[in-house]
Amino acid sequence: MSVLRPFKATDMFKFNNINLDIWTETYGIGFYLNYLSRWPDLCSVQEAPSGRMMGYVIGKAEGSNTEWHGHVTAITVAPEYRRLGLARKMMGLLEMVSDEIYKGFFVDLYVRCANSVAIDMYEGMGYSVYRRVRGYYGNIGLGKGGRDEEDAFDMRKPMSRDPRRRSVRSNGRDMVVSAHDVS
Amino acid sequence: MVLMFEEAYKQQPTNEELGAQTFFANVRASHWKSAQQANDPATPTAMKTILYKLAHRIVMSSPTPSYQSNDRFHLHLSILQELELYDDAHKLLDSDTGRAICSTSLSCNEIRRNIWRKRGMILDEGKLATRRISEKHDRNWLEFLSVLDATFSYLSSSDGSSDSRVESSEHVKETKEFLNRIAEEDGAKDRSAALALLELEKRAHDHGISNDSNRLVILMQDYFTRVGHKACCFEDLKPYLALKEDELSKWTSFLQAVPRSFKTPEELQRLINSHKLLRYNLTQSELSIEAETSRATLYIEQYLEGLKLGSNLPTTELQYADDLALLATNTLVTLWRLTSNEEYLFNAVTLLEFALTKSKQSFQARLALIRLYRLLGAPSLAVDHYRAMGIKQVQNDTLSHFILSRASTFSLASTGDLTLATDCLESTQIYLSNSQETADFVVRAFQGERYSQIPEFIVFEERLDNSLQRDIVKMEHLRMRLTHEQITSDVIDMELIELKFIFDRTHHDNRDFDIMSDYQPKVSSDIFSQTNLLEKNESHGWLRAFLKVYIRAFQQGSDLDDSVEEKLLIGDRPKQSFGAESRPPLKQRLAEAFTEEEVAELTRDELLFVQFARSLAEWLQPYHDYSRPPPNVVLAEAAKQTELKTGYPLKGVDLAALTRSSSPTKKDEEPPAVTEPPQQVAQFFEGEVRENFAEALNWLDSPPSSSQSTLWRDAKE
Repeated sequence: MSVLRPFKATDMFKFNNINLDIWTETYGIGFYLNYLSRWPDLCSVQEAPSGRMMGYVIGKAEGSNTEWHGHVTAITVAPEYRRLGLARKMMGLLEMVSDEIYKGFFVDLYVRCANSVAIDMYEGMGYSVYRRVRGYYGNIGLGKGGRDEEDAFDMRKPMSRDPRRRSVRSNGRDMVVSAHDVS
Repeated sequence: MVLMFEEAYKQQPTNEELGAQTFFANVRASHWKSAQQANDPATPTAMKTILYKLAHRIVMSSPTPSYQSNDRFHLHLSILQELELYDDAHKLLDSDTGRAICSTSLSCNEIRRNIWRKRGMILDEGKLATRRISEKHDRNWLEFLSVLDATFSYLSSSDGSSDSRVESSEHVKETKEFLNRIAEEDGAKDRSAALALLELEKRAHDHGISNDSNRLVILMQDYFTRVGHKACCFEDLKPYLALKEDELSKWTSFLQAVPRSFKTPEELQRLINSHKLLRYNLTQSELSIEAETSRATLYIEQYLEGLKLGSNLPTTELQYADDLALLATNTLVTLWRLTSNEEYLFNAVTLLEFALTKSKQSFQARLALIRLYRLLGAPSLAVDHYRAMGIKQVQNDTLSHFILSRASTFSLASTGDLTLATDCLESTQIYLSNSQETADFVVRAFQGERYSQIPEFIVFEERLDNSLQRDIVKMEHLRMRLTHEQITSDVIDMELIELKFIFDRTHHDNRDFDIMSDYQPKVSSDIFSQTNLLEKNESHGWLRAFLKVYIRAFQQGSDLDDSVEEKLLIGDRPKQSFGAESRPPLKQRLAEAFTEEEVAELTRDELLFVQFARSLAEWLQPYHDYSRPPPNVVLAEAAKQTELKTGYPLKGVDLAALTRSSSPTKKDEEPPAVTEPPQQVAQFFEGEVRENFAEALNWLDSPPSSSQSTLWRDAKE
């Protein structure tokens, strides 16, 4: 019971119920407009029948040669609409567009190593850990601290252009790189 | 910059690069009129059509077909849509490429839907949607709506005869079977079909072709059974809660049967949903003090019980029981409205502060506290909670009203405390970012051929630039500053010019009033309205009333008049807003009496004040006009100052000509006769104003005794 539609600039006036949540960052106007002006088809919204925003995804396409891929920059669902499969649907659309329009080899995303709920969800969607990135996230000052909070897993899912699954590996959790080595 | 490019382009009209650069320069300078003439509301309709036809011709004659890229396709379709060439658009869409694009592009599919709807292709849309749902497993709610629209389309086109009603019932039955099948298949994984069945029943009901009056309630019960353990259940069912008496009593008994004890978060959520749904349908008579008190007690008891379920949750998570605290808050606010006893508000505040210790991230609790603290006259506590929510960027425009609405009431700027004044300034940073950045992104979208985004960016920029909140805050900030700063002639002149610009703007209200969860019964007003400071929510009317007052005050205190202002501000004036030519002159508009809209948004004290200010201005107008130096003297002085400060003469002002001109000075005229001040002016500080002041002084000497949170104590025992 949700409408899947493109993200538009004026949604910035309507996303407070999603962005006031602690885990969702509100960026400057330029951030959103940058994505919308370059990859609008990778940015979508889940909206309730009442017109209220339930969640959104912001993505892009980047990389050269065999590293050309779709990337999930941000995906978020308002607390009251969680566990309804909304993230799955938004990811599905992003993957479809990355595959059929951008012809990327894979889709990837970064997720906090401490966020086991999210990691499980992505694994359920066919993503696997490619590598661990030291210090990717700033510490938001909550929780008990430790490396898990600051480190991120780079998780990947191969697209149709990568039938041999060269873009993923089985021992991803053991591969550690520093934040400087990635974009 | 713009002129340079325009000149160059005129010289070489075939140079596309120059043309593009001219376009960009115009866009950057927000000269939308030149850059995007077709959509500017100031462009007359006939001109619009010509521009669109021109665009159409350009697109059609382009060497590369539009379906090369999704955005070009979208642009082509938009042009056809504006020109109402729906058949041409349909032809484009009906090709293999067209269909392929629509299956991968949400925005192209959106425009396809609009075009099909305009062509009346409701049945085709319904068939397409049915296929997408069953074959492609598409669960986009829009597809279900298309199916439902198609089902009932027979009725709207028919004459309401009994034959067409039979036919419609057949279609309803078909759709029902289809949706039942999908709902079975999906099971717990997706609720769209289940909700669609509800919508189907409701529409059948409304059209009078439903044969079973019980069915709606049965479906609602079924939906609750399936979805009641999810937070979204209440919002999903809200549109269907307007039930008739016997339906309502069945529904109420069903909800009241939901078990009150719970061992899991799902059971707790079910109970919470039942409370929300029951509360929504309470009648006026059920909102008695006794009943609401017992409800509040119940919610608090269950809240405390529910906290136990979440005792192991990480501090970053919300508590399962949080909504019960919010339900209790809603009830306590109702009790306050019924009794005017602030003790209920103190209870609510205590409860919410406690809830925050258990659920640090509950922004709903903070929003409620901000509203209540302002009502109780504790603005700094409200500001603390606002800051804790980490509101930033564009949220300053949509959410700052929570602490900045009528902020001058709480400002201590007169004693040197500039906290609120600073908050006002901070919240305006976003408007500067918007002016600087957004136009660049329009250019980028154009360069990247992302045409679908450009109209949206422009709308966004426009809405933010002309934000109502921006100017309400500006007014409040001004009022604060005037209690703190020295009022020099520079301040007066600058503010006067700015206020006049604001007065002529068309404002957009971007404020978010829906963010607070509302659990009040439908017979009562919502919680946000109930917690309005001074019972009012300021809007366009309030702003206009205050602008009138301050503009006149500044005008009278200033040496500037229209001709002087024009000469001093060459090149700095923003474009005239739409409709400027058709409006009466500013002087006339300022002198107008306050409209109904304006009066409705003012509190009693504000109304008295603005009426006083207006009478005062009327009375003093002739004296100010007389004593103001003539324009040539003012300009001469300004020119002299500019030369002294910058070393350059003031542009556009011929100093020699000014000093030469010998217009009769005002001193030669007779000064206006002295008249008695009107009653409204002379008596303003007597009567009501004096009474209010005395009351405030009394309150300071003997405040009401501090309240006990009795309700809170009772619940804990």
